[in-house]
Amino acid sequence: METVFISTLKPFLDAVAEQMDLYVPKKANQGPRNTGTQHYVFSRYDPSASTEIEFNNIRACTPVKEFLFPLRELAAVFPESFEPEDIKPFAVFGLKDCDLRSIEILDKVFLEDEFRDPFYVTRREKMFIISSDCFEPGESCFCNAMDGQPYAESGFDLNVSQVKDGFIIEVGSQKGKNFIDKNAQLFTDIPEDALADRDKIRTETKKQLEQNNAELKFAAPIRDMMSETQDTDIYDEEAKTCVECQACTRVCPTCHCFYLYDTKQKDYFGKMKMWDSCMRMSYAQVAGGANPRKVLGDRLKHRLMHKFAYFVDRYGVNMCVGCGRCVDAEAGAIDIRKVLKKLSEELKGKGTKEAKVAK
Amino acid sequence: MNRNLYQPINGRITDIIDESPTIKTFVIVPEEKFKFETGQFVELTLPGEGEAPFTPSSSPADTEKMDITIMKAGRMTGLLHECKKGQKVGIRGPYGNGYTVNDFVGKEVYIVGGGVGLAPIRSLFLTLIDRVKDFKSVVCRFGAKTPDDFIYKNTLFGHWQKIDGVDIKLTVDEANGQWKDNVGVVTTILQPTDVDIKNAVAVVCGPPIMMKFATMKLLEFGFAPKDIYLSMEKNMSCGVGKCGHCMIGKFYVCKDGPVFNYEQLKDYPNIWD
Repeated sequence: METVFISTLKPFLDAVAEQMDLYVPKKANQGPRNTGTQHYVFSRYDPSASTEIEFNNIRACTPVKEFLFPLRELAAVFPESFEPEDIKPFAVFGLKDCDLRSIEILDKVFLEDEFRDPFYVTRREKMFIISSDCFEPGESCFCNAMDGQPYAESGFDLNVSQVKDGFIIEVGSQKGKNFIDKNAQLFTDIPEDALADRDKIRTETKKQLEQNNAELKFAAPIRDMMSETQDTDIYDEEAKTCVECQACTRVCPTCHCFYLYDTKQKDYFGKMKMWDSCMRMSYAQVAGGANPRKVLGDRLKHRLMHKFAYFVDRYGVNMCVGCGRCVDAEAGAIDIRKVLKKLSEELKGKGTKEAKVAK
Repeated sequence: MNRNLYQPINGRITDIIDESPTIKTFVIVPEEKFKFETGQFVELTLPGEGEAPFTPSSSPADTEKMDITIMKAGRMTGLLHECKKGQKVGIRGPYGNGYTVNDFVGKEVYIVGGGVGLAPIRSLFLTLIDRVKDFKSVVCRFGAKTPDDFIYKNTLFGHWQKIDGVDIKLTVDEANGQWKDNVGVVTTILQPTDVDIKNAVAVVCGPPIMMKFATMKLLEFGFAPKDIYLSMEKNMSCGVGKCGHCMIGKFYVCKDGPVFNYEQLKDYPNIWD
């Protein structure tokens, strides 16, 4: 793919910001649970600032879904009908491979042929994606165990890799190419050794991730592991520290549950669409009072079964990208990696037991 | 650009029929053309108040209006019960898969219903009797708490029972002075000889506990799980397989159901809760 070079980010980002609203990562304070992971949040890019922006080593702590599927939005109006408004193009800089894969997952849900969500469609079409390579992965990062990697090879308009003396910018779409062509004067050819430098950093980061998650190996493919350990009490055990704050589902870039509710405004009735969480007690309750998941452990189980079994059955991929945001945001002691590991151990134990019985 | 799938079409309540102390039927006239298949559901909006899923209880052949029979069970249904004729409503849908009536052709259709579960069944029943000769028979076993709690009393106690090819038996949990039929829950009037099981399909709709025991009984009689059709009641919010509320395992009840055969669901936990 086409690549160009630039020695500092500012002229590049200024050029983006001239054409569209641009969001960039900004360092944020530690969360409630100090895992050692550096937190970043997205904020509007300020071209008048004299300092270079933070080049985020890992994904932001907030999920990319916020840009496509906001926490709350107006979805319908009475008595007049309502269609999504046209919005201005916008760009997000500093998305990572896990973010791009979470967009792919949301696309499967919201761009489904039969029922395309018009609000998602509008934002998705207007979004300009500038991803960047990870370096120094966070303690909670485990993308490598979820078929991911610390740099993107597809799903972006432009991808930025930090190397010695500057940044390599790779083109990933026609939109990206148009931008580079239009601003050709900003860029130079790739210096000698820069690509080799990029590959070296990529390989090292990948190795670092693999070392961090060396323990995270499973006794069977995850989909099989999930169905073969259905009768376990691990979910009930794990759910004991859950305080039902729903942070895990909020920060998860692939969780997409929502609910619709109706409101009275001054001169119209509105139907709102708002994020919801399957960890909430009355989430699946019906008017008559019946509730298939009254027990917290059952809700945790459903959440993980959805991610690693049901979604796979419907769409062919895991609904988890290994970003580790839920690990960072967790107020109790649930760590999705440890739950998977325990399921794997239980499955191994089962295997041994069955082998013994067979003997 | 496709139409905004969260935007209902406008409609109006043109008539309200008291069916039982807790159940009313609302006749709704949509402002736009609206067609559904029997067993599919709609999302009914009371503007500014809320939205809830219901399966129409009228025949899909009537494309001018639709009946929705509603039991007062929670906040939204309580508000609907307070509505008067002329009330504006919103309708989204129809959604999901209904009864696969064409697969029933040549067979005996064994319908087990209870309480407000007779609402989707009425739509199916009206569809079946329109072409009753296509089926070997239509055998109905319906239950209610008391005789007063039966809905569609006029037709149920009247001309439905006289249709050729239709066999209806009723039961109540608690009788009153005039009741001459069976007393007991609906499973007490199910007999293995009611239909020729090898050439029959069963349809079950009612409160979760009744659906559970009726299904168990039908399996005991020798019905294959794939021949037992269930209309599932879950918390359908978006109606289009996205919001997640109505999931049973990998299924979205709103999109893959609400009518399932038991074979599809039997291995999932807590389906009756």
